[in-house]
Amino acid sequence: MTKRIPLGLAATAVLAVILLAAGQAVPKLGLPILTTSAGQSTDVTTLNIVLDEAAVMYDYCDVPTAEMVADGVGLGGRESGPGFHVESTIDQAKFPAGTPYKAVIFAIGASMKGMGASGLTLESEEARLKKVIEYCKARKISVVAAHIGGESKRGPAGSDNERMIDAVAPFADYIVVTADSNKDGRFTKIAEARKIPLTEVEYALGLVEIVKQAFQ
Amino acid sequence: MKKSRFWIIGLALVLAVALTGHSSAAAQRAAAAVPGGADLHGDGCTVIIVGKDASTDGSVMTTHTCDCGICDWTWRHVPAADHKPGSTRKIYHISQYQTWPPSEGLKWDLVKKDFAGIEIPEVPHTYGYHHGSFGYMNDRQVAIGESTIGCQRRLQNPTPSAKIDITMLTLLGMERGGTAREAIRVMGSLAETYGYGFHDDGEMLAVADPNEVWIFEICPVGPLWTPESGKPGAVWAAQRVPDDHVSVCPNESRIGEIDLANTDFFMASSNVVSLAVEMGFYDPQSGKPFSFKRAYSPVEGSAASTNGGIQRMWRFFDLVAPSQKLKPETPNMDFPFSIKPDRKLSLQDVMTMTRDRSYGTPWDPVQGIRGGPFKNPNYFNRRAPRVIADGRAEYTTVTQSRAGLPDPIGGLVWIAFGAQDTACYMPFYAGVTELPKSFAVGDHWTFSRDAARWAFDYTDFHVQVVYSEAIKDVHAAQAKYEAGMIARIPEIDAQALALYKKKPAEAARFLTGFSLNNAQTVVNAWWKLGDDLLVKYNRLYLYDVEKRSYNRSQPATPDWWKKAVKAFDILMEPDKK
Repeated sequence: MTKRIPLGLAATAVLAVILLAAGQAVPKLGLPILTTSAGQSTDVTTLNIVLDEAAVMYDYCDVPTAEMVADGVGLGGRESGPGFHVESTIDQAKFPAGTPYKAVIFAIGASMKGMGASGLTLESEEARLKKVIEYCKARKISVVAAHIGGESKRGPAGSDNERMIDAVAPFADYIVVTADSNKDGRFTKIAEARKIPLTEVEYALGLVEIVKQAFQ
Repeated sequence: MKKSRFWIIGLALVLAVALTGHSSAAAQRAAAAVPGGADLHGDGCTVIIVGKDASTDGSVMTTHTCDCGICDWTWRHVPAADHKPGSTRKIYHISQYQTWPPSEGLKWDLVKKDFAGIEIPEVPHTYGYHHGSFGYMNDRQVAIGESTIGCQRRLQNPTPSAKIDITMLTLLGMERGGTAREAIRVMGSLAETYGYGFHDDGEMLAVADPNEVWIFEICPVGPLWTPESGKPGAVWAAQRVPDDHVSVCPNESRIGEIDLANTDFFMASSNVVSLAVEMGFYDPQSGKPFSFKRAYSPVEGSAASTNGGIQRMWRFFDLVAPSQKLKPETPNMDFPFSIKPDRKLSLQDVMTMTRDRSYGTPWDPVQGIRGGPFKNPNYFNRRAPRVIADGRAEYTTVTQSRAGLPDPIGGLVWIAFGAQDTACYMPFYAGVTELPKSFAVGDHWTFSRDAARWAFDYTDFHVQVVYSEAIKDVHAAQAKYEAGMIARIPEIDAQALALYKKKPAEAARFLTGFSLNNAQTVVNAWWKLGDDLLVKYNRLYLYDVEKRSYNRSQPATPDWWKKAVKAFDILMEPDKK
């Protein structure tokens, strides 16, 4: 890992320069942040690892409700249990428990296995996401949509994956995607229609530099 | 108070303790997990492994209970093929869990829509093989059984940089592996080059041939891996099971310390230790030897500490080597890699173990009133304790790789659809050139009499009502169609061998005809068995078809059940005495 980080940083720095040159400015977003999943795929793990690598601290909950988001940093002291996972890397000396989140990042990708483990259906996941996003909008918490699972986490209109995209991306303030995820330009169209920034990277590794820029 | 009243109140108290105890048991089970992430109970699949000198007939055996409940159950035969120089092999992302409505087509056609974006150089010749959710048996008698083991969270790589999932990897192993060792090297090398993960994370494969069987375990290397990094896109190790030993994989990593100098028993990727050090999973300064399972896929707990949540490990070792008196309190990570069984195992023994429900153990699913009046092991809690015969199985396989016979005759994969206790194993030789059409169709959401699988679900469904009685009818059918077939295999071998010596293609035709005919016979029998059970136990009476009579007092509700009902009434509705 020690050797890989400098190599990775160099690669991502180059990618970031290319992206910025292409006019895809990375917005500045505030801390603290909450990460979660839209569809319960393992892509949220990737997102968390990207944040770890970028040394950006976060709270994570796989299935937060609007009430949990409202509890702010520490998620009201909730602990993991069957079908419910929370994790925190936030330094509470800097952001004490209860500090309101400035951004919520949703890793989009539907997994029947993941939703089953959390006791969710597509419908209940959509309903949960709607309430969380409504809460974020009302409190001016930035909504970040991340689709980093590639083409296999996409599908025809109305499919599980597309329904998760529908639930989050049109309401996002910022979209980050891997090129594989955006082959059909769907995320670009959403970003253009809503006049919000979008960043496209080749690999998840490319996100490390992006989140550094966005959150540091 | 009358004596009987004391008894009933006592029973009610016991019931109350049992009811409250259930929730604490659930909490205990939740404690058994990979510390870095995935909850093991989200996974399912048990693999049993038997070395050639540990089996009664000298065959190397592997099993796979394909436990899912919502997955595709269909099977296909892929013929052997020769390829021109410069040919390529497309790689597809294949999710174990993804299915499509039958109206849209068959899974193994539709997965081709999910091109992973790479074509790898093809080899001059690919072996023919039979596959379901994974590759199982090729025409060189290389056999595979699969069990998900999970991995440290930071190792997961669900990003598109990982091109190869475990299903795809087993298909490539089947196509390119002429021996178990070759299949392992092929799978390991391809995973390192093209990146492993995407739909899957930590996985175990039992890889066998007529001479030996290995446990191969593989994990991704994290989502930040890219092919341009020049580093391996997977980390793996393989350990050979001694020929006179047996082993098991109950969704837990089995490979501990590795000795790469002993090449006859160990193989691994070049990063097997260095990655663990880089990621902080292993500290060489700790003074402890490197352990694959402790570094990459650690599991806390034991059968006892999880109240049976992870009791399959102990159960298997206790079944095969009761003389060892292994304790359920032993942490699962401390169980041996393999063990010499007290006695050699027959094919029937292995099939019986795939049907094991841990009866008679502290986690007997029908102890007390758990099974209801008709002792149904599915009645109380189908997921806990987690037993080998889970009931969610799409199908279960037992593979046999047999030395001393030509590969098309020596290799056998026995397939049983659905819940193991009510299913029937059907043999398919390695040399079979097609599988039944009824094995290639159907899904969980559309009942179809064209799908072989539904015949077994149909019988299974009718067994549930009066399990303790109906299972006897199933056992009779299994004795006829399964045990009967096992007894016939030497005769079929001999006929096939005689044909093979004259013309191998004749043997292939014979074996194909035999396997297809037998499967059709069994499938038809199970449809009829389901019909017969419906009639026989209709309305919870016992109908005698021959005498055209019925007995309204049978199947009898046992007295202990009636007493339990009374106790429940007192506990839940104390005013109604």
